This record gives sequence, C-alpha cells and structure tokens, in this order.
Amino acid sequence: MNPLTHSFRNQRTAGLLSTAFRFLLAFAVLVLLLALAAPAQAQDAATFFKQNCSSCHTIGAGRLAGPDLKNVHTRRDRAWLKQFVPNPRAMIDRGDPYVLKLLQSANGVVMPPPQGLTESRLNEILDFIEAESKAGRIWGGGGLSDRPYTAADFVLGRALFSGEKPLAKGGPACISCHTVGTLGSFGGGRLAPAPQYDLTRVYERLGGRKALGSWLSAPPTPTMNAIFKQHPIEPTEAFALLSVVEDAAASSGEADAVPLLNFFLIGLGGAVAGLVIFGTVWRGRFRSVRRALVRGELQRGSASLTTGGER
Amino acid sequence: MDVRSQIAMVFHLDKCIGCHTCSIACKNIWTDRRGTEYMWWNNVETKPGTGYPTRWEDQDRYAGGWEVNNGDLSLKSTGKRKVIFNIFHNPHMPTMDDYYEPWTYDYQHLFNAPEGSDQPTARPVSMVTGELINIESGPNWDDDLGGSPIYAANDPNLAGLTPEQREQLFAVERLVFFYFPRICNHCLNPGCVAACPSGALYKRGEDGIVLLDQKRCRGWRSCIAACPYKKVFFNWSTGKSEKCILCFPRVETGQAPACFHSCVGRIRYLGVLLYDASRLEEVAKLPNEQLVEGQRSLILDPNDPAVIAAARANGVADSTIESAQKSPVYKYVKLWKVALPPHIEFRTLPMLFYVPPMSPVMAHREGNAVAHDSEDLFHDIETARVPMKFLANLFGAGHEAHVRYALKKQKAVRWYRRALTVGDVDMTLAQRMLTEADCTPEEADGIYQLTSLCSFDDRFIIPPAHREEAIQMFEDPLEHKQGVGFGFLSGPHRGM
Repeated sequence: MNPLTHSFRNQRTAGLLSTAFRFLLAFAVLVLLLALAAPAQAQDAATFFKQNCSSCHTIGAGRLAGPDLKNVHTRRDRAWLKQFVPNPRAMIDRGDPYVLKLLQSANGVVMPPPQGLTESRLNEILDFIEAESKAGRIWGGGGLSDRPYTAADFVLGRALFSGEKPLAKGGPACISCHTVGTLGSFGGGRLAPAPQYDLTRVYERLGGRKALGSWLSAPPTPTMNAIFKQHPIEPTEAFALLSVVEDAAASSGEADAVPLLNFFLIGLGGAVAGLVIFGTVWRGRFRSVRRALVRGELQRGSASLTTGGER
Repeated sequence: MDVRSQIAMVFHLDKCIGCHTCSIACKNIWTDRRGTEYMWWNNVETKPGTGYPTRWEDQDRYAGGWEVNNGDLSLKSTGKRKVIFNIFHNPHMPTMDDYYEPWTYDYQHLFNAPEGSDQPTARPVSMVTGELINIESGPNWDDDLGGSPIYAANDPNLAGLTPEQREQLFAVERLVFFYFPRICNHCLNPGCVAACPSGALYKRGEDGIVLLDQKRCRGWRSCIAACPYKKVFFNWSTGKSEKCILCFPRVETGQAPACFHSCVGRIRYLGVLLYDASRLEEVAKLPNEQLVEGQRSLILDPNDPAVIAAARANGVADSTIESAQKSPVYKYVKLWKVALPPHIEFRTLPMLFYVPPMSPVMAHREGNAVAHDSEDLFHDIETARVPMKFLANLFGAGHEAHVRYALKKQKAVRWYRRALTVGDVDMTLAQRMLTEADCTPEEADGIYQLTSLCSFDDRFIIPPAHREEAIQMFEDPLEHKQGVGFGFLSGPHRGM
C-alpha cells in the first residue's frame, strides 16, 4: 500500500473513534442529569400536600380559599376526584352541578391545576388525605397571627408591596405584576392576568385574612408557584402585606383608569420635555446650509440685492 | 528621511476660462451611474461664490480637516469619543440640497404632449425621485447666474475684507469673478483616510493617489465629514462612498487623467514630487502662517544625490525619480514658488496647487455708465480687482505674503516678456521688476514657456506605473507557463 494512503486511513479511523467517544460522553452526561432530576419526584405525599395544596386547603382546620378536605372521600368518590383535581376548569365547562356549587362558595375563584401532578401522585395524595382524616390529624390553617394590624404593619406592607424593602427570601415585589386601589397616581403593575392584577378585592375573592395568608405561604397559581417555590414569602411579611390588601379593600374601589391616564400624560410630558432639552442643547447642530442661507438672505429684505445693480 | 513619491498637480487659474470641459469629461467617464448623479468629482467653482457643496470652506459648519489640540493633530469631525456618541448619525454632513438635487428634463413631453394652444415644454424631473421638481440650485449656481448676489456675498473667503475691499470686488455690476476648478487633492495628510472606521480608504504607496476600496466601505460616511474639501461623496444607490481616483487606469498607462487631458485652457499640470514623509506630522502642526512654507519644505530636490539614494533605498523606481526631475509641478511649486495649496489651514497638506489669478482692473463705474480702461493691462497687483486678502484667504491661510510673491512674479514675467517681444516697455524697468520679484531672466523664460507654450508632453510628466511589479507581489507570472493551454479541438496529424 502506498504509505501516503496508509497514513491517511489511520487518520480517518482515529477520527471515527473520537466521534464514538464523544457520543458516549454525551450519553453519560445525559444519564447523570436524569439521575439528578429523579429525587425531585421522590418527595412524599405530605410534602407535596404542604407545598401545593395547603395554601388553599386544610384537613380539619376549616375552610380557606378552598374547602376543608377532611373526609372528602365521603363526599365524592375516588373516580370523581381523580377527574376533577388535574383539570378543574374542564368540569366547570362541562357544567357539573357539584362543581358549580363549589365555584359559588369560592367566590368564583377557580382552583389552579396543581403543578407536577401524576396519576400515581394523585392516588398517593388522596390516600394521604383519607388516612389523615380517619386519624383525625389536623393539617394546615395555622401560622398566621390573629392580632389586629398596627400602623407599623401597614408601613412595612407598603414598603414590601412597592419593593422599597425587598422580600427576605428574594422574591419579586408585588408591584411588578399587581396593583391595589390605594397605590397612588401611577398605580402598580398590570402583568398578572385580569382581574387578578388588581388586588383591591382579593380579600373577598379568596375568603378573608386566614385564607389569603395561607395562600401567600405557597402561592399555587402557575406563574407565582414557579417563582415563590424557590423564594417563599415569610409569615411576618405575608401578615404585613395582608394589612395593605385589607386596607385597600376597606377604603377604596377598584384600581381605576386614572393611574393609566396619569401614566400616559406624565410619559407624554416627559417625552416633550426631553425633546425640548435635546433641541436646546443641540440647537446649533448641522441642518442645512444652502436653504438656510438663501432663506436668511431673502428674509433680511436683501438690502444688498436691491442696491447692488441697476438692472 | 523617508522619501516617497506623490503624483501632484498644478492648476493655473490665470488661464482657466471656466468652460467646464473637465467636469463633463469626468462626469461622462465616472459619475454617470445611478446613485452618482449628484457627484462632481471635478467641478469648477465661481469665486467669489459659495461653491459645491454650498459653503464647503466653512469648517465651523462642516467640521472638516484637522486641528491642533494640545500639540496633537486631531480630526475636527470625529474621534474615538465622538464616534461613540454619534454612532447612528454622523453630524456635519452636507444634505442633498447642499450639493443639489440632480435633474434631467422630461424631453419626451415635447413629442408626446397632446395638441394644445401652447408650445409643450420639457419640465425638470428629479434624477433621484423621478418626480417633477422646481430647480432651486445647481452644482454651479453662481455661474448659472441663478442667484449670484446671494451666493457670492456669502463666500467664506470674504471674511476679514474691509468694506472698501468688498466695494472694490463688486464695483462693476457685481460681476467680477474667477474660476476655481477642484478635484480631490490627494492630500499628504488626508482626513478621509484617517477618519474611515473600516479602513476602506488608503493612500497608494507608489504614487500617493487616495483611493476608496468599494469592497471594504461600510457606508459610515466619516470620510465625507472629515474631508474639508468635500470631495468624498456618498453613492445613495450602492450605499458606499466614492471619490476622484485621479483616473488611475489612465495614469498607469501613461495617459493624463480625463479632466487634465480635456482641459481647453491647458491650465492643468501633472508630475511627480518626492517628499519627506517622516516630517509630515511636524509640518501639519505648524502655525497657520508657516504652513505654506512648511509644506514646500517637505518637497525634496529630485536632483540631490542624497535624496535620490534615500528614494532608491525606499523602493522608489528609477523611472519615477527621473520623472520627478522633469516634473512641471516641482517647478511651479518649489522652484518658482508661484503655485500655492488651497486652504492649507485645513492641514491635510493638499497635493494640488493653484497659480493665483491676476485680475487687472479693466473698467470702472462713472455714474451709471461703465468706463473701460484697457490700457492698464499691467496693473499694480495691490489694486487688482480681486483683493489680495481674498486670495490670501483661499491660498495662504489668510496670510498675504505668499500670494503677493506669486502675483508679483507673474506680473514681472509679463512686463519682461512685453519688453522682450513688443518693446513698448523699458527693458531696464522690466529687469528691475524681475529682480524685485525674486526672479531671473532664465526663470522668467521658464515660467513663460511652461505657462504659454506648453504641449501635452510639457504639462504631463507621468511616471511609468510599473504595474508588473505590483502584480508580481501577489501572482507568479510563470505559474501557468507549463500548464495546460486551450490546445486543439481536433489535433493535427502528420501526413494527408
């Protein structure tokens, strides 16, 4: 064999080997990543209940935003529950009379579908609720003080809501997505879907201080859940924030359109002011030479033009 | 000493008749394309006048050229800091209106118009938008008499003239003028090259022609703002800038550039200069009044053995050195000192020089009549129609000494030739004027010959370009010598 061709072959084989090695390596990394992800599923039903259900439901501690789940297995059968929990909205659309009754008692607030719920997990949860109900153990419903709000609570709440004082665990301030009627001329954010962005009536919607406090301890809606799972709101912070919402519910109506108009007018004024400032600072900028020159001469009445020649 | 060669030019303004043949020759060859309609790489301006683009000499508005800041030379228009703040918009750029909106006429209308009670007319049509326009200005509006009182009165070179001098200039029906043809000056310290962020502009090593690489240009247009002579133009169709290329394809084949070749008044001279590039920066920083002399000092004597040796060591071809020894530009600029750079205060060190024009007073006003006095052809240069100060603003950075020297010498040569050929002037007087003008009879003969009796071969001393050497740097001419040629389609066979 020609030595040149030979060495060329060798190089090619080496290249193939290295490609295979790279595939192996990529596969190994993939397996490792999956293995790391697995423990997240291994949490038990109690933890799942705490993280995903307890913001609206208790077992034996009374109603929050959603009904008390104690002995729920006696009220509805397992098949019905397994149909309802993963997709509550579908049951409402179908017009199930029991669900419509539930909706009424929840002030029209639809239960958000729990995140990361599999069929086996649902069975585990339902088993858990059944077992705990029978054992008479109480889950949820505590943790928030019953004392009346003080002025200090309100001041702290305003600061937390507006982001002047950051939340202890690093969660975003409420104002980025929500507004309340008492927030002043600019209002707050409107990123959250309507009507939730306006928190003025949230007290009524979610059923009072206790329900809302529990709700804040682990917000269940998809967007908030994703954010506050990692950065939960502390009970003292939740208490202070509740004072703001309660004050808003007591003192004012909906966050109306005036803040929006103000926002627009102030923005417009700012833009005009900016243009005036730039126009003044750069008033000597290059515009046109010839046209300005001719216009200037003509405006001056052009004494030089008329007195120049006799023609 | 870093000796380099530069193809330089002299325009003899005393001979320019303002026929614009140069402009047309250039236009027909180079700027008759879409996007270039408004460009005049060569244009002829009427002075006093505002020129093209309007008031291009006013660097307070256009910020072209260089300035000395704390002993450093910096561009007026741009710089590392300025470019960041103006990255989306170059300030100081002439608008289309400052050049002029190019137009043609709707000639077809003359043939196609429906029958009516009037003669059909050919109305002006914009060559940019294709729509009917009202012509407001042109590339030489002064010369078209389209608004001369306005434009002439706003010539930036009128700055510093006394009311009497202005009166003297505009005395007779405001109609005094001379012509000022302009092309790219192919400067020694070009602002356009320095300003280009893409490195598209370069000054050719072999002959100093400043060129713009169309493939590298990214349309930043910094060159347009930086060139104080406004001789780089933006092609709105290609999105790239363009400029005078000194007809390098012609120069490389031994022909004069088209505008030089076609010049009716024979005012244009072209030749090689050897200069000392190591002193460029030092000279460009000199105070205004020393700039003319400083630039002249850069130009080296091509007959000096030391200069020749240094030139050879720098790779300047022998043929170029020989060409430099015969250069008419060298004579006008360095030997006779009658050709001066335009607006040297812009500090780009232009390599196009002008012999300032004589402007004898031929007539004066008497009441409403104009009286002619043609006998005073050999006038006193101090009382010429165009004030010395005006020419000094144009050719001497505001300082009159060099302009006065050049005009005095020209006048002395005229007196001397008159004494020699006609004899109605006293020869001793003529000789004395020569001496006063720092001129010898031999020099006067030389000036006379090159001014009045110059042929093509006297005006254009074009060095061989040695393109073969440049090509050999990139390609081996013998590479394909033994390769496969076209061969036969059907090969020849021995026998029948």
